[in-house]
Amino acid sequence: MSSTEESAVDLPLSAWLRPRVRLVVGAAVVGVVAGVVATLAFFLLVHPDDLSRASARAFSLAAIALGFGVLGWSGSIFAGRGFEEMQRHLDTGTDWTEADSRRAMARISGFGAGGMVGVIVTTTVL
Amino acid sequence: MVSKRFVLKRLLLLIPVLFGVGTLVFAILQSAPGNPCRIILGQRASSQQIQQCVTDLGLNDPIWVQYVRFLGEAATFEFGDSYQIAKGTPVREVLADKLPVTIELALFGQAMGIFVGIPLGILSAVKQDTLTDQATRIGALSGISVPIYWSGPILILLLSTYLGVFPTSGRIGSTIFLDNQWYPFTILGPDRFLPAPWIGSITVAGVTLPFVEIVQLTAETPAPLTGMVTIDTLILGRFDAFGSAVHHLFLPAAVIGIYSTALISRMMRSSMLEVVRQDYMRTARAKGQGAKITVMKHGFQNALIPVITVIGIQFGSLLGGAVLTETVFGIGGIGTMLVSAIGATDYPLVQGTVLTFALLFTLVNLGVDITYSYLDPRIQQ
Repeated sequence: MSSTEESAVDLPLSAWLRPRVRLVVGAAVVGVVAGVVATLAFFLLVHPDDLSRASARAFSLAAIALGFGVLGWSGSIFAGRGFEEMQRHLDTGTDWTEADSRRAMARISGFGAGGMVGVIVTTTVL
Repeated sequence: MVSKRFVLKRLLLLIPVLFGVGTLVFAILQSAPGNPCRIILGQRASSQQIQQCVTDLGLNDPIWVQYVRFLGEAATFEFGDSYQIAKGTPVREVLADKLPVTIELALFGQAMGIFVGIPLGILSAVKQDTLTDQATRIGALSGISVPIYWSGPILILLLSTYLGVFPTSGRIGSTIFLDNQWYPFTILGPDRFLPAPWIGSITVAGVTLPFVEIVQLTAETPAPLTGMVTIDTLILGRFDAFGSAVHHLFLPAAVIGIYSTALISRMMRSSMLEVVRQDYMRTARAKGQGAKITVMKHGFQNALIPVITVIGIQFGSLLGGAVLTETVFGIGGIGTMLVSAIGATDYPLVQGTVLTFALLFTLVNLGVDITYSYLDPRIQQ
C-alpha cells in the first residue's frame, strides 16, 4: 500500500473528501462561466437565429470535456500504476504520476460538468 | 488466488469508463453535421415531413433532455430502433445479429497471434542471435509494418486468386445450408430422442440463475445458435460445415492476426530474454534441471505477464482492424455496419455499437488484469 493510501485510511472522511470536492467544484465553477460564455458566443456569432442549435453546440463541447475527463480519470486508475512502473523500469523521468493524472482528469471532468450546467442555465434564462 | 475486492474494484471502474465513452459518443455525434431525418426521408421530403420526423424521434427536445434520455437507455442497453441502416429494427437485435461475426473474426485473429506469436517469441529468445532468431525478428518487424488494407488484398491475390488455396470471401461454402436442426437426427430418424446437457434457468427469490440440466433432444428441439459459424456448426454436429467455416475464416483471421502475432512474438522474446538472465533461472540450471524444463517451468510464467497485457490491449485493435478486414473479405460484421451507420447519422446504432465495443474492450482488459494478478499475486497490491 502506498503512503498516500495509508494516510487516506487514517484521515476522517470529511478531511479526505474536502480537497477532492474543492478540486472538482473549483473546476466546475470555471466550467459554468465557460459554458455561459460559449453559449452566448455561439448564439451571438454563429447561430444568431437559433438558440437551441447554439446551446447544442456549446453543450456538446462541454460534454466532450466531461467524457474525456471521466475516461482519463478511470484510465489513470486502471493503468496509472502500470505506467509508473514502466517509467521506473525504463528509467525515463517524465514526472508523470498516477495521482497527478487523476487530479488533472478530475479537474477536466468538473470543468465539463460545470460547462454543461452553464449551458442549461443560459439557455433557460434566454 | 485473485481477491474478490480486486475484481469488484475493477468491475466498479467499468461504470465511469462506459459513462465517459457514452458521453463522448453522444457529444461527437451531436456535433456532427447533418440531420438524421433528412437522411431517413431522403432529399425529396417536405419540410413538414422532416419536422414531423424530428418531433417523433425527440430531436426537438433540448440537448440535455436527449442526453439524459440517452444515459437512461445506455444504462439498460436499450438504444431504441435503428433510424436508417436496419430501419425500424431494435439496435439490440442488430447487434445480436452482427456482433458474433466480428467477435469470431477477432477471436480467431487473437488465437492466431497467441498460438503462433508466443512459441515464435520463446524460440527466438532461446536461440538468441542465431539464424532462427534473425528470421523471426525480421518476420515480426515485417508483420508490424504491414497494414491490413495492403496485406488483405495481397493475400487474396496470392492465396486465393493465383494458388486457389482459400476462398476469396464469405463465411461458409455456398452449397452448405445451415438451419437449426440437429444433424444426428438425419441419421437416427426424426422420431428418436437423445439425452443431452442443456442450460436451463431457475428463479430463486426473484433472481433468474442458469443451471445445467439433462433434457431429451428431439429433431424438433431448436439448437441454441451463437451466430459464430464455427461454433454453430459444432453445436449442430455438422463437421463438414465446420471445416468449410474454418477454411473461409483462415485468411481473414490471418490478415487480422499478422500484426498481433508479430507484436506478441517480439514482446515474448524481449520478456523471455529478461527472465532468462534472472538468478532463479541460473539456480534452477545449476541444480541440474534441463534447459527446456527451466525455460518452460520457471521462465514462461514470469515472462508471460507483459505479453498478456499486450494481448488485452491488442483485442481492441483487432476489433478496429475487423472493420477493414470485413470490408476486404466481404464479411457482414459489425465493422462495416458501423461505418455505414456513421455515414447515415444513425445515432442509436452508432451509440449502441460503440458502447458495446467499449464494454467488450474493458471486459477483456478486466480478464487480463485478473489473469496477471493470478500469475503474479503481488500485482493486486
